[in-house]
Amino acid sequence: MEPLTGMGVLALMGAAATIAGASEDLESDVGSQSNPNSQVQLAPQMMYPHRIYNKAVSGEPPSNALMCAIGGTTATVLMNTGASAALALVIGAIVAAAIHGTYSVTSYFGRSASQKRFKQPIYLDIIRSHTPVIMGYAFITTFCILVVSYLMVTAMAHPFSLPLLAFIWGITVGAIGSSTGDVHYGAEREFQAVEFGSGLNAANSGNIVRKAESGLRNGIDNSWFCAKFGGPVTGLAFGMTVFLSGWVTAVFDASRGDAIGWVSVLAGVIIVLILILWNRNIEVAARAAYGTYKEDEAEAEVAA
Amino acid sequence: MIDVAGILMQNILYVILITLGGVLISWSVHFVPVGGAPAAMAQATGIGTGTVQLAAGAGLTGLVTAGAMMQITNNAALVIASGAVGAMIMMSVTMIVGTWVYAYGVGCPPASAKVKYDPITKDRQDLYVSQGTEGHGLPTVSYVSGVIGGALGGVGGSLVYYALMSIENGLPLADLVGIASVFAVGIFFVNAVIPSYNIGGTIEGFHDPKFKRFPKAVLASLIATFFCALISVLSIGGL
Repeated sequence: MEPLTGMGVLALMGAAATIAGASEDLESDVGSQSNPNSQVQLAPQMMYPHRIYNKAVSGEPPSNALMCAIGGTTATVLMNTGASAALALVIGAIVAAAIHGTYSVTSYFGRSASQKRFKQPIYLDIIRSHTPVIMGYAFITTFCILVVSYLMVTAMAHPFSLPLLAFIWGITVGAIGSSTGDVHYGAEREFQAVEFGSGLNAANSGNIVRKAESGLRNGIDNSWFCAKFGGPVTGLAFGMTVFLSGWVTAVFDASRGDAIGWVSVLAGVIIVLILILWNRNIEVAARAAYGTYKEDEAEAEVAA
Repeated sequence: MIDVAGILMQNILYVILITLGGVLISWSVHFVPVGGAPAAMAQATGIGTGTVQLAAGAGLTGLVTAGAMMQITNNAALVIASGAVGAMIMMSVTMIVGTWVYAYGVGCPPASAKVKYDPITKDRQDLYVSQGTEGHGLPTVSYVSGVIGGALGGVGGSLVYYALMSIENGLPLADLVGIASVFAVGIFFVNAVIPSYNIGGTIEGFHDPKFKRFPKAVLASLIATFFCALISVLSIGGL
C-alpha cells in the first residue's frame, strides 16, 4: 500500500478507536460495570441503598469481546450474502447492542433482587431510562470497533478474520477502559464526599455518594461527570494503542525488507521509553504537588 | 486414520516452541502490576483491573501485530519482536493514561506499599501512601515491570502463533490463519489464568514478594501448555 494511503487509513482507525474507547468507558459508568461496581454492590449491604444502575454482566473485556464478536459475526454473514459493508456493520452493531441490553436488564434485576434483605429497591424507571443509554453506548462502541476491524481486514490486508479481530479489539478496549477511565468513576466519582486527593480509606468501603447535584444520584449522573475526564482519556488510550501499534509498521513497512522491519521494532521501543520517562515526570510532579500523607517518624523524633 | 505418532514426531519442534511460549506468557503475567478492584478505588498500587484481562489485552494486541508481520516476512525473530512491541505499546499506553487519572483525576501520587524505597528511582514510598490504603498509582518500578511483562507476553503469544502457523498441513492459508489464531488466543488465556492463583488479585511487579512464587505457575503452565500443544499440533497437522 502507498504510505500516504496507509497513514490515512491508520488515522481513520485511530479516530474510530478513540470514539470506541470513550463510549466504552461511559457505557460502563452508566450501567456501573467492572471493578467500581463492587462498591455499588456492597453499598446496600452496608445499609446504603441507592438508585444507581447495578449491572456487571462480566468483567469489561469479556463483555465487550462478546459484543464485538457478535457484531463482527453478524456483519460478516451479512456481507457474505451481498449486503454493503456500511449496512452490515450497522446491523451487526444493532444486534450486539440489543443482546448487551438484554444482559444488562437481567443483570440489574438479578443483582438488585438478591439484595432484597438489605432493602435495596428495584427501580423500574431506572431500567427504562438507563437501558437505552447503555445500548446506545454499546452500539457506538461495537460499531467503531467493527470499523477498525473492517479497515484492518480490507484496507490493510490483515490475515485475521473480521470477527476474530473484533473479538481481540473488544478484549483490548475492555481492558483499557477498566484500567483507566473506571478509576475516575471508582476512586473519584463514587467517593466525592471524601476530600480530593486524600486517598480512599478501606474503612469507607460501600459508603458511596448517593445524592446528586439535584435529587438522588443515578448512573446517568455518573456518566455526565466521567464524560469530563475518564471517558475522553480512555478514548485517547485506546486510540493511541491502535494508532501507535499500527503506525510503527505503516511508516517502517517491513514488506520493503527485514531491515526496515527491525527499524519499526526500534521505533516501537523508543515510543515505550518516552512513555516510561513521561510516567516518571508525572510521578515527580505529583509527589511535589501533593506532598506526603504522613511525617517521617525518624525526622519527627529528631525535631522533637 | 490420522497418523498421530507421525504428525507429532514431524512437528516435535513446534510442540516445544508452543510450550515455551505458554511458559513465557505465564511468567510475564507476574510482571504486570495489577491491583484489581482495590486499585480501581485507588486503594492498591497497580492498574485497576484483573490480571487475566490486562495480560490478555496486551498479549492479544501483540498477536494482532505479529499476525500482520507474519504475512509479509518469514523472519521468526522479526515476527516475535513485533508481537513484543505491540504488547509493550498497549501496556505502556494503558499505564500512562492510568497515571494521568491517578495524578489529575483522583489526586494521589504514585506510591508502593510493598517496598520502602523504589528499587529503580530510590524514591521514598511509605510516606506517600495514604491512610488505610495499600498504595496507589504506578511508581516507576511498577511501570517498568509492566513494560517487561507486556514484552514477555507479546513474545510468548507470537511464539505460539508462529509455531502454529509453521506446522505442516494441507489447509488453504486463510483457513490455517483462522485456526492458528483461535488456538493462539485460547493458549494465551489458559496461561494468563494459571498465574492469577499465585497473584490472588494484586501484585505490584517484580519487586513484590508474591513475584517469587512464579516457579509454581510456570511449572503448571508447562504441563497445561504441553497438552494444549499436543492437541493443537494434532488438530492442525491432521487436517
